[in-house]
Amino acid sequence: MTSRATFLVVASSWDAVSRSFAERHLERGVRLLTPRDLSRVGWNCSFGKMGASSQAVVAGRLLGDREIHGVLTRLSGVNEHELPHIAAGDRTYVAAEMNAFLLAWLTTLPCPVLNRPTPRCLSGRWWRQEEWVRAAGHLGIPILPVHRRVRLTHGRRPRAASQPGGTTVTLIRRRNLGDADPLLITQARHLAQAAGTDFLAVRFAGPSPGSAFVDATPWPDIADDVIGEAVMECLVTARTGRQESQEAA
Amino acid sequence: MILLWGLLEDSPLALVQAALQRQGAQTFVADQSAVRETILDFTVGADVRGVLQVGSRTCDLSRVTAAYIRPYDSRRLLRGTDAQEGSAAWRHAEALDDGLSLWSELTPALVVNRFEAMAGNSSKPYQALQIRSSGFEVPDTLITTDPAAAEEFWEQHGTVVYKSVSSVRSIVSRLMPEHRDRLADIQWCPTQFQAYVPGTDVRVHVVGNDVFACEILSDADDYRYAAREGAETKLRPYTLPDDCAERCVKLAVATGLLVAGIDLRRTPDECWYCFEVNPSPGFTYYQEGTQHPIDHAIARLLIDAPRLSATHC
Repeated sequence: MTSRATFLVVASSWDAVSRSFAERHLERGVRLLTPRDLSRVGWNCSFGKMGASSQAVVAGRLLGDREIHGVLTRLSGVNEHELPHIAAGDRTYVAAEMNAFLLAWLTTLPCPVLNRPTPRCLSGRWWRQEEWVRAAGHLGIPILPVHRRVRLTHGRRPRAASQPGGTTVTLIRRRNLGDADPLLITQARHLAQAAGTDFLAVRFAGPSPGSAFVDATPWPDIADDVIGEAVMECLVTARTGRQESQEAA
Repeated sequence: MILLWGLLEDSPLALVQAALQRQGAQTFVADQSAVRETILDFTVGADVRGVLQVGSRTCDLSRVTAAYIRPYDSRRLLRGTDAQEGSAAWRHAEALDDGLSLWSELTPALVVNRFEAMAGNSSKPYQALQIRSSGFEVPDTLITTDPAAAEEFWEQHGTVVYKSVSSVRSIVSRLMPEHRDRLADIQWCPTQFQAYVPGTDVRVHVVGNDVFACEILSDADDYRYAAREGAETKLRPYTLPDDCAERCVKLAVATGLLVAGIDLRRTPDECWYCFEVNPSPGFTYYQEGTQHPIDHAIARLLIDAPRLSATHC
């Protein structure tokens, strides 16, 4: 029997792009989940000798872990600004607790999660530009060295200068979105694989093969129709595949 | 060169520095009390090169073979009228912490411990997944916003403790009848309850392949805060069964930690539960109580550090 699909977008209350994405795909079962939703009666996550299971509360509805068919994570972490309904003195603590809970819950969900969280970021691999550059360099991808200088009079962190004419390769699972040179796509795939990240936007300095790697982000632009649709296809396809294998079993 | 990053009044850092000096190692201390006088300058490309300057002392970062890091939030250590949030000194402290933590992730030197590995401790249920994989028991656990579910769990297990889900305010307390009225508050935030596990606490420090175990005799729910409960705590050296010691080393390796403080409990029927793996253990309390040479072992690990390649690739 086919149940109605439910897909979650885990995002900040302030993330208008994620809210718009959820509204756009409401009819396909997409629901927004923000840290505010963790202050509702009904969340459960248990493990031990009695086995492991969880239950979420989304849009006023209780959902067992098997009733969630896919998740898109757009939240790096929970901070106190998400929690105006919590007493001011407790917000920092509650934010840390919710973050810790979401890390464990998203890690154990049996459905596809784009991206599966890491302890440093609920949206997957959180690397600073230098870490991406180092990883790319180790993979043999051409890189531009990144310099960082910290001293009291120049304390602000330097930002990479914008590079007009650059090329972004967006990957979702093994699929590439848009046109790009095959070598850049291959290099982007290797980088995503090294980072253990399914959904990644990889930026190069230019469109030609041999262009230097610039940066990468686990938050590709889901406001882009092509990327947004690819996310939905990925989640729906994964759900269909899981249903088929369950039926075959 | 061995880099030490933290505060010299932090007793683990001070003991490790003294042990390194006794063994003739060359050290450089990135003392956080001198944050204003600290300059960091490095480039990440095919390798990581740069310098760290603290006052008049300079360290060539490419010569660092090992690092022992126990940093505090440098912003909170600032004193003076120019230290308010958002000031130049505040932003500098923030940027310095970020820069040095970045360097510690990227350097091929041996780092005790890298932030990436330490981050797993920020979520106890997440870490419990790693603990179970290494063969230790973990207590039956419920994290919930539902007071009725908490009541049911309590009834099912008889004696239950509650503790934070994160590493913040991590004090273990037993759920008592007088707490029943406060259970309604859990609707605001997922709260962790665990079945109480009777037995004796054993704290294990893993340093590379060395294992130092300490038995803790205390009537308190959380021996670290025994004084608050009017209880006493006694420590004594303990010899772990070989298979348990092996599991401890395996757990430290699985979590990517070169030095770890592992909290175990041995039940009356000789079952071993593991509650937590501390990635930056304040070992001095246990060393004083057992005379275990933990500082010496950490110093040896740092001195013997091979030049490892960075963990990312």
